Amino acid sequence: MTSAATRLIRAELRLTMRDPLVLTFVLVFPIVTMLIIGGAFGTTPDVAFEHQNPAHWYVASYFTVVIAATGLVMLPVHLAAYRERGVLRRFAAAGFPRWSFALAELTLGLATIAVAGVLLLVVAAPVYGIPAVHDLGRVALGLLFGSIGFISIGVLLGTLLPSARAAQAVGLMLFFPSFLLGAGGPPPHVMGSALRHVGDALPLTWVTTSIRQPWLGIGTPTGTLVQVIALAVVATAVAARRAAL
Amino acid sequence: MSVSMIDGMTTMDSEDVVTVRGLRKSYGGRVVVDEMDLDVRAGEVVGLIGANGAGKTTTVECIQGLRRPDAGTLRVLGTDPVREPGRVRTLIGSQLQDSALPDRLRVSEAVDLFATGRGRDRHELLERFGLTARRRAAFASLSGGERQRLFLVLALLNRPRLVVLDELTQGLDPAARRDVWAAVAQLQREGTTVLLVTHELDEAEALCGRVIAMRNGRILDQGRPAELVARHAGWARISFTARDPGLVEGLRRLPGVRQVDIAADRVQVHGDRRSIAQVGAELVRRGEVPADLDVVLPDLEAALLHLLDAPLDPKADDRELVNLR
Repeated sequence: MTSAATRLIRAELRLTMRDPLVLTFVLVFPIVTMLIIGGAFGTTPDVAFEHQNPAHWYVASYFTVVIAATGLVMLPVHLAAYRERGVLRRFAAAGFPRWSFALAELTLGLATIAVAGVLLLVVAAPVYGIPAVHDLGRVALGLLFGSIGFISIGVLLGTLLPSARAAQAVGLMLFFPSFLLGAGGPPPHVMGSALRHVGDALPLTWVTTSIRQPWLGIGTPTGTLVQVIALAVVATAVAARRAAL
Repeated sequence: MSVSMIDGMTTMDSEDVVTVRGLRKSYGGRVVVDEMDLDVRAGEVVGLIGANGAGKTTTVECIQGLRRPDAGTLRVLGTDPVREPGRVRTLIGSQLQDSALPDRLRVSEAVDLFATGRGRDRHELLERFGLTARRRAAFASLSGGERQRLFLVLALLNRPRLVVLDELTQGLDPAARRDVWAAVAQLQREGTTVLLVTHELDEAEALCGRVIAMRNGRILDQGRPAELVARHAGWARISFTARDPGLVEGLRRLPGVRQVDIAADRVQVHGDRRSIAQVGAELVRRGEVPADLDVVLPDLEAALLHLLDAPLDPKADDRELVNLR
């Protein structure tokens, strides 16, 4: 006999792969934008990119775009649509424990980020090359806690917003500023100070910094990693409470 | 009555599938279910009927462990849905009002997802409900009738002893309704206990052994559909065009006839069900066989409308109407 959680996770993974929003926004969008913006600044190390190859800078940054697309758009829309249409009530009435759905969403988010991240690297490798990872442990911690934090934010948004349309609107409003100022846009050094300050305050910037700096060997941002871990802990606690675990 | 008292606590008979005592539930100060008592015994098909906002769905959601009551005690298949809502939900087969499945989930995948392993033969169920050919179809592509049949399959999948069906045939065309009715009738023959929430009174009349009429969170009356009709639905009405002016007096003397009206040539006879045969016999005896004879029988809809039109005095309801079983 398969457990309720296993059956739910299996179904959710299968359904996600059939979802056009996931296929376009989480899998294709980061790859396309990485190819465009990575190519826009060339491959010569530049002071604006902390003396790194700009293409490599963006390869190391775009994992975060995948995390943001999953946490700020895919999961809120998915969950809000389920709530709006009564799918969650049906699951609950059939005896699926609430925690099993939360676990399914966490697994779904992590699996999506992993698949999209691998695809990103597969496409980047022949075009720009993959930069060497200087500190795998810190990169892994940044990835893991950044992913958990944004997945939890996604679950939280999905439980708060009343409809899939509302979730899409709010998710995109949160995604694009974060994307442009904190991960996939111009490097912070070319921004004005006001924009840079805004960017520094964005959770997605913390996650990008906690991954990119140790990946490219341009710093060991322990303070930022602590911020990311704290974000993950707080967001998970609030999302779990909201989901009444 | 199957309820007994042990150590001051109300317990349920082994035949009771659902026992509810003093159920109360309110939303934001508005009382939706008020001091409700309800018993459902094994093998019964019980219908909850009433207008919108009567508290029917809230009542079954409390029974299913989907809502926490403000007061009252509930036992469902020996389990307390307030303390163990998760366990209760695994014991009940549920078809919910206004719910759906993920659009891209296929029929066979839905069955795999909801099957716990202790269930019925899923292929046989799909075949029985006419879904075998649609097993690879996505939920979004199913017609309304196919969706309801799939919900029935999912509700029955794990051999529940209690099935809760909320607005099962809402929005279905007549043929699809008949298919679903046949499925519920089959459940009854198999001895499954069914709690049916419906606005469709012909459905309640056709399927339920007992119906419970609700208004404003309270039970107005309950009993077999025919009993409710007899108690509340008023009179049968027989109308026809008569040639013999002396007919009216003869009709008034017939057993069961309550009133006879005549306007122009049109005669209207009001009476109980017996009066229908009496009037027919009298017409034949007098050689009158009107081609336009029309009979309107009292039905559950008329009974419910009468109940809903009655003035609502909560205290009177307590004294006179609740638990007339």
